[in-house]
Parts: sequence; structure tokens; C-alpha cells
Amino acid sequence: MKTQERQNKRLAKPRYHMADNISGWGFIAVAVAIFVIFTLYPVISAIITSFQEYKPFGSEWVGFKNYVTAMKNDLFWKSIKNTLVYTVVVIPLSLILSFSIAVMIMPFTKRIQSFFKGIYYLPGIASGVAISVVWLWLYDASPNGIFNRVLALFGASSQNWLSSSKTAMLSLIIMALLSSHGANIIIYIAALHGIDNTYYEAAEMDGARFFQKILYIVLPMCRPTTLFLLVTGVIGSFQVFMNAYMMTGGGPDNNTTMIGLLIFNNAFTYGKYGLACAQAILLAIVIAALTTLQFKLMGEDIEY
Amino acid sequence: MKIKKVLATVLSVAMVSSVVACGNSAPESAQNTGSETSTTTAGETQAEETATSSDVTDTITIMVPPITGDYVDLLDGWIKEFNQDYPNITIEVIATSWDDHTEKLTTMALAGEAPDIAEVSYAAIGTYVENGTAIDISQYIEADRLADYDQNALDYMTLEGTLYGLPLYITIQALGGNKEMLEAAGADVESIQTKGWTYDEFLEVIKNGTVDDRYGFVFANAGATTQDFINIFGVSAGITSSFTSDLKYAYTSDNMLSLLQAVETMTSSGYMPNYAVEAGQRLVMLQTGQTMLTGKAMPLFENNIKRNIEKMQASDPEAVEGTIEMEYVFLPVPTMDNATASVFGTVDGMIALRNNNTTDEHLKNVLLFMDYLCSGERAATVDNAVYLTGVCESARKAQESFELDQSDANAAAVAYAISKVVAPPTGITAEQSANAKTMMDETIVPKFQALLAGETTAQDVYDAICSEAYNLFGEENCASGWIK
Repeated sequence: MKTQERQNKRLAKPRYHMADNISGWGFIAVAVAIFVIFTLYPVISAIITSFQEYKPFGSEWVGFKNYVTAMKNDLFWKSIKNTLVYTVVVIPLSLILSFSIAVMIMPFTKRIQSFFKGIYYLPGIASGVAISVVWLWLYDASPNGIFNRVLALFGASSQNWLSSSKTAMLSLIIMALLSSHGANIIIYIAALHGIDNTYYEAAEMDGARFFQKILYIVLPMCRPTTLFLLVTGVIGSFQVFMNAYMMTGGGPDNNTTMIGLLIFNNAFTYGKYGLACAQAILLAIVIAALTTLQFKLMGEDIEY
Repeated sequence: MKIKKVLATVLSVAMVSSVVACGNSAPESAQNTGSETSTTTAGETQAEETATSSDVTDTITIMVPPITGDYVDLLDGWIKEFNQDYPNITIEVIATSWDDHTEKLTTMALAGEAPDIAEVSYAAIGTYVENGTAIDISQYIEADRLADYDQNALDYMTLEGTLYGLPLYITIQALGGNKEMLEAAGADVESIQTKGWTYDEFLEVIKNGTVDDRYGFVFANAGATTQDFINIFGVSAGITSSFTSDLKYAYTSDNMLSLLQAVETMTSSGYMPNYAVEAGQRLVMLQTGQTMLTGKAMPLFENNIKRNIEKMQASDPEAVEGTIEMEYVFLPVPTMDNATASVFGTVDGMIALRNNNTTDEHLKNVLLFMDYLCSGERAATVDNAVYLTGVCESARKAQESFELDQSDANAAAVAYAISKVVAPPTGITAEQSANAKTMMDETIVPKFQALLAGETTAQDVYDAICSEAYNLFGEENCASGWIK
């Protein structure tokens, strides 16, 4: 009855209602403004530019020419292939490593957990450029390079880490695997904390061993987290740019040219904004398709 | 309750306003993307205006990398001098680093916010002509002022018959070595410096110079420096430009195959490392005796090496670790059979660019300042710093009083090298220039890196280059056979 009266009062006081709305719209406006300025406008602008031969003083409408050029370009497909290889190796291995580390950290006290979380997150707060410089030093191809010295201890010959097509991609993958776990570990630990102890207790009463608990309790319960990390990881991996830009410049023989680097080069080295935008739109379509596929394959029986 | 809601609304509006304000300020911040921006206002000087084309105040922006170590500081002084004659013109400097200069300039140009003046190498002019931001400067500069500049240097700044900028210096890039080691390896250094040498002689010398823990020859070849190798050593095979005199693409000629085979020989024989060598690393290798000969090398390295040895002798911790005493010699690149002896030269200068504020009156002021910077004592200061002779009469005159700390033998080598520089052919179109850059970045350099790593053959690289070039330029526009 009281609720009904309150509702009637509200209906009778449109001014109060309006004030309520204004503050609501105000808060939404912040997010909407940010979205419109930094996402929607650039996306629409990129779509328009992808149909133009861009020039700062008078762009020319060229229809689908940039898309045709992109599709006909061998380097575009090679960069997609390179990015796929990088993604297919880095993302699953990264998830396995992050999950394993999170499981190993879990039994410790909160303080020790925080210590490890901090250690693993540390590369995340360091400048990517600074980290790349350190890795360049590690991968120095001369016999004095750190990794080559390690190889020499085992009697192996020096490797041309970043300049050989046999090792360049591997070098980037190793670098990615060893420097980007912090966030994943923290998210996995949060997911592990969310699993009710009663599941473990019941499993122990049934005589389940450690790996059985991981397999039948932890992995299924962490599935939404894994899906989230997989989707965001794949999206991030398809946009990878800095590693290749800083470490190999895309070489040798374009074997480490990622799609992000190709788009960057077309836009900012050659000034071909139209082509770069067309390639970026195609990349967005590929990412959207892959994301949909991942949700289809993994997300159907997940309850959030 | 009501107060809280009002407060929340006010805060929301404030947040939105701040976001919108950020958006509005973007263009201005984009203009000031330089790491350092110094401004000299017209009001700083009280000198009487003498020759401006207008009394109207004007602002000129200039983007420069550190052409010499202290160029930006020097520029501030020159701007003050300039303002004594032209107090109505304000000069804003956008200082960049060599690493980000091109990308920053391209980005600003494409946003319609290019600086009025920018330092570029002649090979990059095509990019700005192609995107419509480069400006024909000939109509904004007096003919008598233009006559001050050497025609061959102006040719470098010319594309399709249109002059886009003024030259600042012509630099020669070749080889540098340790005199004692070279002589021990059988090289007649003085003769090479003044008469050049053949590729066979060069190969014999680097073979003799290769011993345990020392290469006969090291050329920086990591990343962008790969292109230097192709440009500088390309002249050995007679390729002095991306295009022949009849404007055919040159890297499809037999000369290119010879160059690639030479590289294959040098790396597979172990006279030269088959791993990536960074730009700074090759000079360190020369200074520490890990190589006898290096590239790319320039005359000014003599100064760098002398200063480093002085530091080593004074036990200065800044000296390169392991520095050995040596006499640096500047050498031309060798010449292959059937090729004409030549040395790679490139011209750097200032070009005028169009932006949203460009007007005819403004361009006259832009050229006034550009000419001021590229001539007289300003140009001479740059030329002296890089151990080169000026490319305009007024700069050479200003250089007369300056004494270079350079050995006579190296001075003779520089004179010989300059006499062997071949200017690019006239008539190259902006499209050809832009396509040549794409070929270099997307095909030649990546394939060349694979060749250096010993993962492909010279023939395969050559075939791949021909295939891509035929697609891009058309086979009829690509050179075949041996070019002279």
C-alpha cells in the first residue's frame, strides 16, 4: 500500500522525477562522451577514411579500392598468418602458465600471495619500451650476448635470435610469455577464491586427489574466467604491435610483421591512411569473428 | 537528499566538461608534440625591421632533429639574430629526435598541421609531394638568393622539375677503418683514399684482415640500417639511385644481383658477421679492434674516435671499454667489375610544408627564414660540425676562417669521395619515389636481412625483388641487364 502511495507521489511530482533523471543522465553522459569521442568517432572516421585516398587537403573517394589492395597484398596475408601463429602459441601457453602459477600461489598466506602477485605484475607497470631494450640486450646475436653465452656453456653455437627466420618469432613468443602474466594471475587467483570450500571438502570425502580436484572442480568453476581471459587475450594478441616494432621491425623477411605493425607502417611511415584504415577494419572483422567463435564454442553452457 | 542530487549533477557536468575540454585541446597539443618547444617572440628584440615583406605579425613553426649535437641550442641563437631584422616574425621550434622525426612529421602533415619548415633527407620529399603537403618554393624566394646554392645540391631537392626545399649539406657515406690493421692486411691506404679500389682488392684485404676475434669488415645491418648497406654498397655495383638515368627502376638490374652475390660471399666466408649489428655497435667494434673496417662511415668519425682515445688515455669512464689506439681512415667503397667508381651521397635540407594556416604572404616569410638557416654562417656551422664542405657559396665563404681537425689524408679522401658522388636523375615522379620507398621497406630490406642471416640465396632474393618490382612499376619500367 505504502509502495503504491510512493509511486503515486512520484508520478505526481514530475519536477522531482526530472531532477532524478538529470543526475542519472549526467553520470551516463561521462561514459557516453568518452565512448563517443574516443571510440565511436574514430571508428566512424576510420570507416569513412577506408573508402578514401586520404590527403590532408582534399581526400578522394575511391570506393573499395583500399580493401581490394589490402586483400591482394601478400604482406597483408603474411602478417595475418604471423599474428595467428603468435596468438595460437602465446595465448594458450600464457593461460596455462598463469593458471598454474595461480594454483601454486593459492595455498600460501594472503601476505605471501600478495608478494607473488606483486612480483608477477611488476613487468606490467614497467615501460614496454624499457622492457624491449632489456630483451634486445638479452637477444644480442654476437657471441657476447647473454643468451648466446648461456648456450656456449652447453657447447651450443650462437644464435641469430632476432635476425633469423628460424628464431625471430620464437624470440618474440618467449618474450611475451615471460613478461605478461601479472594481470592473468591476479584474475585467476580471484576466481580461485570464489570457489566454495565445500566442493573441495566433498571431493576429499570421496577420495579425490589434487589433479582430480583441479580437473573436476577448479577448471569447470574457472571456466567463465578462462573464457574472459581467452577472449581479451586473443583481442590483445591480434593488436600486438610494440614487440615486433621494437625488437625486429617485422624482419627478417617480414617473418615477424604482425598486422598491427603493418597497419602502423602504412599509416605513419607511408602516410597511406586509407589503406591502413581498410586493413584495420578487416582486422576488426577478423577479431569479431574469432570472438563470436570463442563464445559459441566455450560460452554456451557458462552461467555468470 | 536534494542537495546530494544537485551536487551529483554539478559534478557530472564538471566531468563531462573536462572530457569535452580535453577533446578541444587536442589540435593544439598535437602541434606541440616535440620533446622541447622553444619560442622566441618578436618582442624580444627591439631591432628595426629592415626587409620584411609585410609588417603583419606572423608565426613560423620549424621541426628539426639534432642535426648536430647542439643544433637546437644554436637555433635559438640564430632565431634571436633573425628577429633583430624581422621582429614581426615569431619562430616556434619543434625539436625531435632522429628516431621519431619522420613518423612525427608524417603524422602532423597528414593531420593538416605540418610545421612550416621541416628537416628532411631528399629521398623523403616524394612522400610529402604525394600527400599534397610539399610546396613549390621557387616562387617565394628571390632568384639571387637561390643562385647562392649549388645547382647539384638543389637538384636533390627537386622532384618532377619542382623545387621543394633548400639543401643544408651533402653528406658522403662510405667506409672507415683502422689504418695500421689495413696496411697489415696489404691495403695501400693512401692510394685507396685518393684513387679508390676494386672489389677484388677489397675482398682480399678483408680476407687478410679477418683473424681470431676480429672481422675484416662489419657493416651495421640491424633494422633500418640495412637500407644504408644497400644504398652505400649499391654504388659499388654501379647503382647510384633507385632509378637509372632513363627513369627505370634500378634494383632489378644485373648490378643488383652482383651486389647480392658479393654480400653472400662476404657473410658465408666469415669476413663479415652473419648476425645483426646495431648502428652504434659497429663503431664500438672498430674502436675496440673487433673489426678492421666498418660502414657506414662518415668523415666526422675521425673526430669521434680521436675524442674517445683522449678519454681512454685520461682514464675517463665515458671512454668505450676496451678502446685501442688507432688512426681512423675514411675510405671510398670498392668498385665492382664493369661499374664506374662512385660514392654514395645524400642531401639533407629544409622543405616547406602546407598546413591549415598557409597563405602566400606567410610562405614568403617561411622562405625568408628557411634561406637564412640554410646559408651563411648557420650552414657553415653545421657543415663544420659534420666535417663537410658547404653546398652554397655563402656557407663556403663562412667556412674559410674555420680550421678542421682532420688529417690531410682523410681530407684528400673526402675530396675524392665528393668528386664521385652522382646526383639522382631528374624527372623522378612523386609516385615513383613513393613506390621505391615501399619496395625498399617491404621487399628489399626484409629479403636482404634473410640473405645476411644466410637463410636464402642471392639469386632467390634477386628473383623476389624483380617479381615485386614488375608488379609495382611494370616490367617495362624496370631496368634489365647491366646498367652503367
